[in-house]
Amino acid sequence: MTNRYVYGIVESGADLEFETDAVGGANEVYTVSHRRYQAVVSDIDTTDPEETDEDAKRHDEVLREIMERTNGHSIIPMQFGMAFESNRALKNVIRGARPAFRRAIRDIEGRIELGLKLVTEEDADVDREAIEETVADALESLAAQSVENDHFSDRLVLNRSYLVEEDERETFDDAVAELEDHPDLEDVMVQYTGPFAPYSFVDVKIGAQR
Amino acid sequence: MFVLDDLLFRPFVNILDAIHTIALDELYDLEGLEDERKENQLLYELGERSESEYLERKEALEEEIEIAREVHQELRSGRVEVKR
Repeated sequence: MTNRYVYGIVESGADLEFETDAVGGANEVYTVSHRRYQAVVSDIDTTDPEETDEDAKRHDEVLREIMERTNGHSIIPMQFGMAFESNRALKNVIRGARPAFRRAIRDIEGRIELGLKLVTEEDADVDREAIEETVADALESLAAQSVENDHFSDRLVLNRSYLVEEDERETFDDAVAELEDHPDLEDVMVQYTGPFAPYSFVDVKIGAQR
Repeated sequence: MFVLDDLLFRPFVNILDAIHTIALDELYDLEGLEDERKENQLLYELGERSESEYLERKEALEEEIEIAREVHQELRSGRVEVKR
């Protein structure tokens, strides 16, 4: 397995070498450095990995583990599927993307992503607009940014990601807990997830020059 | 006469080919199937679907997605033969 599968980019200084269940059956995660940036990688036998449920889950779990280990260093998360045929190819890409990494780190430093999905109970008829307004009133002012995600089901009333200062996490948790008891959300199931590396708020793609 | 046939009927044949391709595209609605896969996962995580219901649906959807991917690949390659 000579190819490198990339989970994300961190600024140098984080100690990131650990054993875990990684994408494509690998069991070790380590870093490839170029100047002030490190790509967090594992070995893989292809440059075009298939996005199976298992590997998508591993990608997320490795990123979570990296977040726990970076001790305050922000990670720029990569979407699933970024793989390079050698360290050299990867370093070339890091070199070319340095300005984008700098901007991304500035945007996400000290912040985490939290997700909120609201799903109607089966056959329930709810006032979607009122719910959206109630949620916006409760959460938008607590987040640095937020973004609406894919509505992949008719039962999804809301599928939103929030970029929240790590220091504000508890306040945000409390606001979501309060929302769950709100009368507007009586016939709605709530799925509150995270923290994640802030996928939804960085737009760095490094696959093109593979 | 054959030239005339070709001139008169060829455009309709092309339109039929296009309609057939669109119909195949809709029948094997990859995006819809992917959405259903995500919905199945979500309803399981929320406890509305049991593990056995979830796994059964997941397996069926994965098969349908694989077939749909193959059909779309064939459509893109232009290797699908339209028979009438």
